Amino acid sequence: MEIIIEEISKGHKLIGRHKFSQPSLNIGRGYQNDIIISDPHVCADHLNFNFDGEAWFVSDADTINGSFLEDSKQVINNHKIKSGDVISLGKSQIRVYFPNHPIEDTATFSPFENLINIARHPATIAFSIALFAFVTGFIFYLNNGKEVTFTQLLVPAISMTLMFALWPAAISVVSHLTKHDARITSQLGICFIFFNLMWVSDIIERFVQFNVSSQWPLMWLVSIVPIGLAFCLFWFNCSIGFHTTERRRMVISIGLTVLLYGGTELIQLSKKPEFNPLPQYNATLMTPNFNITASSSVDEFVADSTKLFEKATKEIDKD
Amino acid sequence: MKGIIALLLIATSSICNATEQAEAIFKQLAPSLYQIRLIDKASGEKSSIGSGFQITSDGLIATNYHVISGYARHPSKYRIEYLDNKGNKGNLELKSVEVINDLALVKRKVATEMPFFVISESTPTKGEELFSLGNPHDLGMIVVPGTYNGLKKESFNDRIHFTGSVNSGMSGGPVVNAQTEVVGINVATSGNQIGFLVPHDKLISLFNAYKIAPPENIEQQMLAQLSKNQEKLISTILASEWELKQLGESLIPTVNVPFIKCWGDSNADKPDALILTAVANCTLEENTYLSSHFFTGFLEMEYRYMQAKELSDTKFYTLYEQQIKRAGPANKATKEDVTEFQCQHDIVMPPHQGIKNKTIFCTRAYKDFPGLFDILYLAASIDKNDRALLSHFTVAGVTQDSAMAFTKKFMESVTWK
Repeated sequence: MEIIIEEISKGHKLIGRHKFSQPSLNIGRGYQNDIIISDPHVCADHLNFNFDGEAWFVSDADTINGSFLEDSKQVINNHKIKSGDVISLGKSQIRVYFPNHPIEDTATFSPFENLINIARHPATIAFSIALFAFVTGFIFYLNNGKEVTFTQLLVPAISMTLMFALWPAAISVVSHLTKHDARITSQLGICFIFFNLMWVSDIIERFVQFNVSSQWPLMWLVSIVPIGLAFCLFWFNCSIGFHTTERRRMVISIGLTVLLYGGTELIQLSKKPEFNPLPQYNATLMTPNFNITASSSVDEFVADSTKLFEKATKEIDKD
Repeated sequence: MKGIIALLLIATSSICNATEQAEAIFKQLAPSLYQIRLIDKASGEKSSIGSGFQITSDGLIATNYHVISGYARHPSKYRIEYLDNKGNKGNLELKSVEVINDLALVKRKVATEMPFFVISESTPTKGEELFSLGNPHDLGMIVVPGTYNGLKKESFNDRIHFTGSVNSGMSGGPVVNAQTEVVGINVATSGNQIGFLVPHDKLISLFNAYKIAPPENIEQQMLAQLSKNQEKLISTILASEWELKQLGESLIPTVNVPFIKCWGDSNADKPDALILTAVANCTLEENTYLSSHFFTGFLEMEYRYMQAKELSDTKFYTLYEQQIKRAGPANKATKEDVTEFQCQHDIVMPPHQGIKNKTIFCTRAYKDFPGLFDILYLAASIDKNDRALLSHFTVAGVTQDSAMAFTKKFMESVTWK
C-alpha cells in the first residue's frame, strides 16, 4: 500500500518526491496536509487519497478550481489510481507511482567520461585557455602592419578569450536552469580544447591551400574538418550539460552545427553582389619551409588554364 | 622705333588674316557640319552629344564612335539624331564603326545632292595651321585655329598632336587645312591647348571599306577590329626586346616599345616601415572605349619587391599575403559586358630560373565579343625567407592564344638576380 507522490513542473521536471505508507493522505495549501502546495490556485483542502485495502482512490474535495487527470476535463471523483498518473491541481502538477513501477535500464558511463575528467582538471583548463589567448595575441601581432608592444596585444587576446568563454558559460547557465548540473569547469575545459583544435585545423587548411594547386580534387575534405570539430564540440556540450537520449543529443548537435555553418553561409550568400567585378582566388602564403610539394612547370600551368577559358566561355551562356 | 611699328603691323595683319580665314572656312563649310545627338527613347531627351561632318553628297556623315557608342551597344534604347546649322533635325542610321580609332559612319536622308567635306590626300606639314570645327558643350558651332604638331609620339594607334583647344562636344568634328580638306577628326584633349586628332587616313580606310562592302552586323565588325588590334598589340610586344631590369634583388622584364611606359616608387623615405617596398609599374597608356562603363585593349605590368627589416619570417609572409589578397582588373566592365572571373592557382617554377612562385591566373569572357577575354595574373615568390617579389599583369580584350603566349613569356622572364 506504499505510494510515491512527486511534485513536478509543467515540463514534468521533478520538484519534490514523497513516500507514504499510511492508508489515507491529503494534499492542499493548508498546513494540516501531508503534502503542502503553496500554489494560490490550490484550496486549503484539495485532494484526498484513500487506500481501500486493494487499490488507491483519489477525490477532489469540491475545490474552486478543481483537480484533473492530465488531458482530461473531468473533475476527479473517486478515481482509481494507476501507477504513473499525472494530476493537475491549480497551476501545479503531481505524479503518482507505486513501488513496483518499472524503471529504465542503468546508463553506462560514456566512454568519453575519461576525456571529460582530464578536460576539467584545473591544469588542463589553465593550459588550454592560456594557449588560446597566446594564439589569438600572436595572430593579432602577425596581421598588424606596424610595430606593436606586448600590452597592445594583451587587450585583444584577453577580450577574445573572454568572448569565447561566453559559450561554455551560456551552456552551463542553460543546464542549471533546466535542473541539471552546471558543470562549468567541464564545459570550459572541453570548449577551449576544441577552440584550440580549431586553430590546428586552420593551420592544416592553410598548409594544404598553400601547397596544392586549385586543381586538387580533395580540397573539400580539408574544409569539412572544422565542421566536424564543431559537431563534436556541441555533442560534448550536450552530454556534459544534459541527460538526454543518444538520439536527441545527435539531433541537437547536428542542429547547432547546421545553424552555425549554414547561418554563416546564408549571411555570406545574402551579402554576395549580383556581379562581382573582382576575381575570387586563394591567396594563402606561408614561409618557404612550409612548401613541401613539387612545383609545376610553366607549360603545365599554361595547359591547366585552358580549362578556365572554357569555364569562362560557359558562363556567358548561363545568363 | 620704325622697326617695332612695322613688326606690330605685320603681327596684327597676320592675326586679322587668320581670323578672316577662319570665318571664311566656317561660312563655307557650315551646311555640312552637324551636331550629333544620342536621344534616349524612353525620356525623349539627349543623353550625349558630339559633332559630325558630311563626307558624301548623299548624306554619309563621319563622327566619333564614342559619340554614338550608346546606340552601337544598345540599339533599342537610343536613336541617333542630327541638328544642322539651320536648326533642322533628322534621324541618322549607323552604317559602320571603327572602335580602335574611334570612328563611326552614320547616314542621313537627303532629297538633293548636298555639299560635303573633301578628305585630304596628303598629310599636313609640321607647323601648318589647321582649323578644328565642332560644337563644344552644346554652345553652337565654332571654329578653333591651331597647329599641326605631327603624330603623337609613343602611341600604339596613331593620333595627331594638335595644338589648339579641343573641348568635349567637339568630338567627331573635322579638322581642316587652309584648303578646307579634312586632315583629322577631333577625338580627345589633354588639357590646355593640347588636342588629339584621328589622322585622316583612318577615315579614308573606313570609308573605302564601307564603299566596297558595308558591314552587315556592327557587333561582328567590332569583334573583328578588337581581335585584329589585340593580335597586333600582343605580337608587337612578343616580338620586341624584353629588357631585364633590376628591382631590389630581382630581375623584372620591361618591354622595349615606346607605347609602354614605366614608372617607379618606393618607401625608402619611411624609416619606420617594417618592410622596404619598391614598385615598378609599366602600362600601355591608351585603351579602347567600348561604352562609358566598358573599356578594353589595356595592358599593365606591375612588380613589387619587398624586403623585411628585422621582422620574423612568419610576420613578413603574413603581411605579404595581405598585399596579394585583393587584386582587381584595370579596365572597367559591367555585368552586361563580361562574366565573373574564373581563377586557378598553383606553385610554379619556370625552367632554369631560380624563382618559385605561388601563381594565380584569372580570366573572364566578353559576353558580346566571343573569343575575347580579360586576364589577371599574380605571382608571389615563395623561396626566400625575408624578401619577396610580386609580379603581376592585367591585359584586357585578348584571345586565348595571345593571352597564353604573353603569360608564358612573362612567367619565364621574371627571376631573382
